[in-house]
Amino acid sequence: MDKKTLIMPFGIPGHNLTQIEREVPADEPPAWPVNAELKEVGKSVKRVDARAKVTGQAKYTSDIQLPGMLYGKMLRSPYPHARIRNIDTRQVERHPGVLAVHILGKDISMAGSKDESADNYPEVKYIGQPIVGVAALNDNTAIEALKLVKIDYEVLPFVVDLEKARMEGAPLVFEAPVEKEASDGGEEIEKGLSLSGNVRGPSRGQPRGDTQKGFAESDIVIERTYVTQVHMHNPLETHGVVVDWKPDGMLIYASTQSTKGVRDEFAQLFGFRKSQVRVITEYMGGGFGAKYGAGNFGVMAGHLSRKSGRPVRLMLDRKEEQLTAGFRPNSVHQLKIGAKKDGKLSAIQQRSYGTAGVGLGAGVGSIAQNMYECPNFATEQYDIFTHFSPGAAWRAPGAVQGAFGLESLIDEIAESLNIDPLKYRDIIDKSEVRKVERQKGAELFGWSKRKKAGSDPGPVKKGMGLAQSSWPRFTHLDSTAEVRLFRDGAVEVRSGVQDLGTGTKTILAQVVAEELGLKTEDITVRIGDTLFPDGPPSGGSVTAGSITPAARNAAYQAKLKLFRQIASKLDTTPDKLMTADGKIYVTGEPSKNISFADALKQMRTEQLTAEASRSDDYGGMSRDDLGSVQFAEVTVDTETGFVKVDRIVAAHSCGRPLNIAQIESQINGGIIHGISYALYESRVIDDQTGQMINVNFDQYKIPYAFEIPDIRTIILEEYPAKSSTDAYGIGEPANIATAVAVTNAIYNAIGVRIFELPVTPAKILDALKRA
Amino acid sequence: MQDDHQKPRQELPKKGLSRRGFLKGAGLTTAGTVILQGGILGAEAAAVDKTLGPDAVTIQLKVNGIQRKIAVEPRITLADALRDKLNLTGTKVVCDRGSCCACTVWLNGKPVNSCMTLAMDATDAEVVTIEGLAQEDKLHPVQEAFIDHDATMCGFCTPGMVMTTAHLLENKPNANLDDIKHAIRGNACRCGTHPKVFDAALAAVQKMKKS
Amino acid sequence: MNKFKWFNAQNIEEALERTNATVSDAINRGSADSAIIKSGGIELLDFIKEGIIEPAEIINIKSIPGLEGIAFDRTAGLRIGANTTLADIENNGDIKLQYLALHQAVSKAATPQLRNVSTLGGNIAQRTRCWYFRSIDHPCFRKGGTTCFAQNGENQMHAIMNNGTCCSVHASSVATALLAYGATVEITSRGGQKKDVSIDDFFVNPFTDIRRESVLRRGEIITAVNIPAQGKNVKSWYIKQGERASFDWALADVAVVVELSGKRVRKAAIAMGAASPVPVRSKAAEEFITGKDINATTAAEAGQKAMENATPLAKNGYKVDLFKTIVKRALLESV
Repeated sequence: MDKKTLIMPFGIPGHNLTQIEREVPADEPPAWPVNAELKEVGKSVKRVDARAKVTGQAKYTSDIQLPGMLYGKMLRSPYPHARIRNIDTRQVERHPGVLAVHILGKDISMAGSKDESADNYPEVKYIGQPIVGVAALNDNTAIEALKLVKIDYEVLPFVVDLEKARMEGAPLVFEAPVEKEASDGGEEIEKGLSLSGNVRGPSRGQPRGDTQKGFAESDIVIERTYVTQVHMHNPLETHGVVVDWKPDGMLIYASTQSTKGVRDEFAQLFGFRKSQVRVITEYMGGGFGAKYGAGNFGVMAGHLSRKSGRPVRLMLDRKEEQLTAGFRPNSVHQLKIGAKKDGKLSAIQQRSYGTAGVGLGAGVGSIAQNMYECPNFATEQYDIFTHFSPGAAWRAPGAVQGAFGLESLIDEIAESLNIDPLKYRDIIDKSEVRKVERQKGAELFGWSKRKKAGSDPGPVKKGMGLAQSSWPRFTHLDSTAEVRLFRDGAVEVRSGVQDLGTGTKTILAQVVAEELGLKTEDITVRIGDTLFPDGPPSGGSVTAGSITPAARNAAYQAKLKLFRQIASKLDTTPDKLMTADGKIYVTGEPSKNISFADALKQMRTEQLTAEASRSDDYGGMSRDDLGSVQFAEVTVDTETGFVKVDRIVAAHSCGRPLNIAQIESQINGGIIHGISYALYESRVIDDQTGQMINVNFDQYKIPYAFEIPDIRTIILEEYPAKSSTDAYGIGEPANIATAVAVTNAIYNAIGVRIFELPVTPAKILDALKRA
Repeated sequence: MQDDHQKPRQELPKKGLSRRGFLKGAGLTTAGTVILQGGILGAEAAAVDKTLGPDAVTIQLKVNGIQRKIAVEPRITLADALRDKLNLTGTKVVCDRGSCCACTVWLNGKPVNSCMTLAMDATDAEVVTIEGLAQEDKLHPVQEAFIDHDATMCGFCTPGMVMTTAHLLENKPNANLDDIKHAIRGNACRCGTHPKVFDAALAAVQKMKKS
Repeated sequence: MNKFKWFNAQNIEEALERTNATVSDAINRGSADSAIIKSGGIELLDFIKEGIIEPAEIINIKSIPGLEGIAFDRTAGLRIGANTTLADIENNGDIKLQYLALHQAVSKAATPQLRNVSTLGGNIAQRTRCWYFRSIDHPCFRKGGTTCFAQNGENQMHAIMNNGTCCSVHASSVATALLAYGATVEITSRGGQKKDVSIDDFFVNPFTDIRRESVLRRGEIITAVNIPAQGKNVKSWYIKQGERASFDWALADVAVVVELSGKRVRKAAIAMGAASPVPVRSKAAEEFITGKDINATTAAEAGQKAMENATPLAKNGYKVDLFKTIVKRALLESV
């Protein structure tokens, strides 16, 4: 491929900004300067779909009504573990309001089997596991009809408790080793690991050095065990689909983080080519990592649509969402760190286990492996199977659990060495980005006013803490966008990529507008439809970094095509043309220009299109991380045990910031998730029945207005010179450090450490009594 | 939601139609007649069985300024009636138990959870939904402020947030941050828009003062 | 939800004629033919949506004129109609001035949206929020089953006193304040008879009758709540602690009403919600504080006294500390 060289901004403005030469494919656009010199990119441009959202016009999957549409509902196992002897659907088949009945295949979690005989049902392994579905004229009829299904169960012993599941003689969830395809959510699940009882693993990550030697050479070694809870996603829109099966293909509306992932699974499961399956996600009500693939509900809806010949909508209700639609696994994380007198880390060793129910992915990630300089590192991470529905990727899977341990223990080592935790990180952290974030964040936060732990007089004490995050610069190279110019002046950008509420539509419009010298509002964004070129799945914080370069490149290609058509009209050659302020100019002769709209009128054809994909990272794959530093101030009432987070300062980087307001919003979201993880949310399972008992918003405690602290964000501009937009996502990084910044602040308030989340009043009071 | 498998609907008298006339017209054969509000019922009808349903009953209500007639089973919630019968899908059902306020609409001028309100309880009522907040193309100042301050993310909580906030500001033009938090204390958001909802609401207070 | 009929009652008489079950009856005896009274309807819909009851008919009493309203008289005291919404109570100026703890309790109940609909009658007649009781999958004592799942299960929110049979706690935080004010509940039964039941007697302990939480029987409805006039030297305060500040059920709530003579407590009522299966007054704490000045020491001691009979379960010991603290703070705040 032809190459060319670009001179690109590199580094952090105001700190170490310089320029770098990058050899890039010849068809890449020229390098953009820093944001200060751009018109649309890097500004707080209003969300392009905000008006639709504030007027109730935005149509989500759960709002879709197709002519003749039926309502699907599933009968689910009431037992955590049972053998199905018989399924009798004769009565429900005769119900006048029911137009299709379907029994899911043997492998229910993937639901691929087409064989419906009950023999294929040896076992159900979790409460809520779907078995039979009906499609009825309305929701209530479907619910009524399911009562007519008779299932004969042989109830089997179960285990839902993490510790009990590890014991010898515990009821087995799987008899033989199992694997899971990696989801698109940023989880890394190692294959080929052994299974002993309910224990799978260990996964050993990427060890380095010799930890034993490292600990032997340490001046200080501390070992602790950190425990985290199960955390539910609870997107406000539940999982669900509308499926319209036709002999020649399927139309699917899905609340998903990956239109193409849903398409691919449906195509495979229903024997269609990918081109015969169309998936649409115009608006979706949040995912946070849990919404990938067809899902057993989607497969069921597909079968019901196929059987009834009518479209079927199947949305989970809130209880089904909580019971079956994913969660962040819990973790028990034994962490041992050794350091020298000067603070340098000499060894990190970790061992963890947790449960994703019948699923995999209960690790503590790679943050302990990656964030700090340490020559010796070893990890062992185990998955424990239990009779509960499978977990799912949840905003920075593994990293949030891992960071709670790592950043707690780093604080404790700093204290043992009598070094301020902020300064200590200057010693052990080589990241330039986090160094600047620490400086700026500490100043805005007022870190210098931090007092000695537990020194506040009186029963109500304040405390300050900080923590850092690290997240890889993931990108998804199979990301394509198309830009269309229309004679009537319309400019469209199209891609299959979906907008989860993060603002993808808006940043696409911004980069296209910037490239074409137009305004963001001049651009029409059509995304979330697999008829358009494939976009990335939205997980692992890949979206912005993957699809915006593709969109910019497509806009650039479209522009060059347009230049070729109109250059002669300006008595020049295409290479002399440039765009700015809604006009096309001859470079160096600003008086020779034509408005962009007029140029479009003169196109040879009604439409002009160009398509481009995300190219490989300039200068080779990025090895450095996305980092953040967050500061928390809390108030702890030592007489009641209640903790309130008063304020957070969050300093973040995500490459070139594309839309400041939207990045702030994303950071707010990550912080609020983190606070809630630290203090409020926890799945409660009754061990006697294996049932989750806080299945509603009444008892599963997500935060509301009075739980929200004052949040200040610092968004660092940072240019790694890796793509034509140089942008990266912010979803994951925003969520990693918060919970542990809060617990570090709690320690500073009361002088006692808490090793288990969520930090409930009971735990505070208990810790104070033990201290 | 389709009702095509349901039995014939019972009809309610239209306002203004005399009760006697209505009963005649309906043939006096079914048990399903009703008067909608306390005090309307005259003594003459006291002997009539006023039980309605369980099949669909036609009720009248004013939605976003327009008088509507819908057939609902008594078990249908106002949220479902709005979404399925009137295609007003801006109102969202999230927790379905009154714990998240995504379904907030104004019922006779007060914000309520439409998921926990039976449509029957909205008989003859005035309902305003998110679709009815703007006057023609002119957005409510709260809607404008939500756009200006990036107070929407996925947008699923937004209709409830906007309806709750707009009600506060219509009734308390000098609302401060604490008032705003009190008003939306039941409105869940999972993306994290709360901080910007606060900003937007405070900006809307200023905006409404000027206009 | 199951299909049900609907009846708009025009007067109390016809509502009582038609009804054949309370929610508690329906839960325990089956609901197939039940005709159940509905006011605001939040509680009833909750049960129907969970599938715990499937009533045949709903009798709407919101349509009954005259069942709502607030009347205050300096000598006769306060009368609140059963259909009065919590929002109307919250916004009532007399109540804010004369019955501060009630105002505080009502403003902390549920959400503004729910308070616009929920009625006082429905609020005090509601059933426990115990997550086992509210789960269709757990046939506990209170639903005609043979066990209390919470005794050996997830009892972190549960009762720390009188908790040997069923350890659920009553859900109403408004009731805590009513108890402290010595309210009476006016119950009307078929035939129009009215009786005034002292709030102390209104709630039923599980060891008395596991199937219900109030004395209300079918054929009866709450028509009003009356609260005696409070003397000039009466002070009150209410504190609720939930897991969240925004809105939540109480993990612990306390209402204190004290009559002072100078600085000295002449009479005290200290009511605790979420401590016991029904709201309770702490006689020990009341006796202790009576005749004393309220200060940090005496208030703390009263808090200790309030908890001297506590029998916490495996996971709710923290609630003992919680109550000690908020009894103390409520006393201090009241003066």
